[in-house]
Amino acid sequence: MRLQGKVAVVTGGAQGIGRAIALGLGREGAKVVVADLQADKAKSVVDELTNLGSESLPVEVDVASESSVKNLAQETLGRFGHVDILVNDAGVYPAALVVDMKEAEWDRTINVNLGGNFLCSRAFVPSLRAQKSGRIISIASGIAHYGAKEGAHYAASKAAIIGFVKSLARELGPDGITANAICPGIANTALPRGHRTEEELMHRLRSNPLGHVLEPEDFVGTILFLASDAASYITGQAINVNCGSYMI
Amino acid sequence: MSQVALITGGANGIGRAVAHRMAAGGMCVVIADFDGAAAESVKSEIAESGGKAEALSVDVTRANEIKALVTDVGKRYGQIDVLANIAGGSFYTKRIEEFTWAEWKEVIDVNLKGTFLMCREVAPIMQRQKRGRILNTASNYGLTGAALRTPYAAAKAGIIAFSKSLAQELAPYGILVNIVAPGPTDTPRVMGKESPEARRQRWSNIPLGRTGRPEDIAEAFYFLTTPESAWITGQTFHVNGGLVTP
Repeated sequence: MRLQGKVAVVTGGAQGIGRAIALGLGREGAKVVVADLQADKAKSVVDELTNLGSESLPVEVDVASESSVKNLAQETLGRFGHVDILVNDAGVYPAALVVDMKEAEWDRTINVNLGGNFLCSRAFVPSLRAQKSGRIISIASGIAHYGAKEGAHYAASKAAIIGFVKSLARELGPDGITANAICPGIANTALPRGHRTEEELMHRLRSNPLGHVLEPEDFVGTILFLASDAASYITGQAINVNCGSYMI
Repeated sequence: MSQVALITGGANGIGRAVAHRMAAGGMCVVIADFDGAAAESVKSEIAESGGKAEALSVDVTRANEIKALVTDVGKRYGQIDVLANIAGGSFYTKRIEEFTWAEWKEVIDVNLKGTFLMCREVAPIMQRQKRGRILNTASNYGLTGAALRTPYAAAKAGIIAFSKSLAQELAPYGILVNIVAPGPTDTPRVMGKESPEARRQRWSNIPLGRTGRPEDIAEAFYFLTTPESAWITGQTFHVNGGLVTP
């Protein structure tokens, strides 16, 4: 149990990769705040965590809302007193070509994906600084590097997360806090399903050098590594977990 | 049967820390180093702490020595699960016009050619096993370049591109190839060259406020041998305290 007694907040923790991360952190002994817009699903992840013996807390949050994120921080610190690990996973992916893209779609994608990183990091940094240690881990995407048709806003938001995390690493390093991103390859989750048939999706999922269909659980090991003491000298990095889909 | 890890340059600095970490993780460690006596002493350290290790002497620039070494290890253990190519170094700090052809080749050969030769011999064994992890050592200088270390930076950049190519070749066999790129690390070799104060001054721009320890780097090597990193290949892990964030 590498994270015994640590307190972790996972935004977007109610489903997909975020849920897998929340459960993975719980298995390593962390107390987990499952923060999500979908309050019912967050509660059911908390039930799963309880069954694993992890003390956890569901919090309904809109990561693009300043007041809602403030409430998340208050509930978290009120319950656990401090935070050790923040995983920024909450994100949206409304598919649209640039020429058809509504300004509101653009704003929502940037505000949730990128703005959520900013608001949540800002909210928890004082607690991390106070204890002179901590981990911020943001879920970017391979699309940050690769781009995506019908996903220009998503690609922009994810590339921006990497720039944000690198800057955060430089700001927070002197206080012993690391900030890193992981870039998952396309995975078998709800997120890429909006704009593909099931057959197209499975073909796309298998099209990587290792021929493996990435599942949400496949990213958890890297998150646990980054959250653990073993990665205390790694900061400002964006780690690709993508079965070799691309190598940069 | 525990996993077998073959580690070049395993007698000193980062390689020694990697050998210790792999042994602590339950692997049987084969330390192959130019300095056979130093390799023996790391073997003894590991044995004293309850691990399994063997020491061998090898010059990684010599194809025939490598062939003999890998054949021997492969025969005796029947498997090679992990290959960590750590033998290397920059050796010289001098302006381009002062580098002799022999010096240039020495740096390129120990770092880049040694990595190629080791991979070439070990890959067929891993292909037969249909599994394996290859870990090559680059440097942040492989991306940023480094004045007065032209052949070293070239070799390290070469190792990155070589490793990505190999990752693509070996992926169908379930073999993963990744790169660890350490930043400034406190190894005896570099620590002997400047005072601790001068070193602190020179690296005061590292966000985490200190240079790396060999153990920090070893943790990244170890992670890349575990099931937790099963879907990572062709990637470079920069372990540098935030100095370089590509």
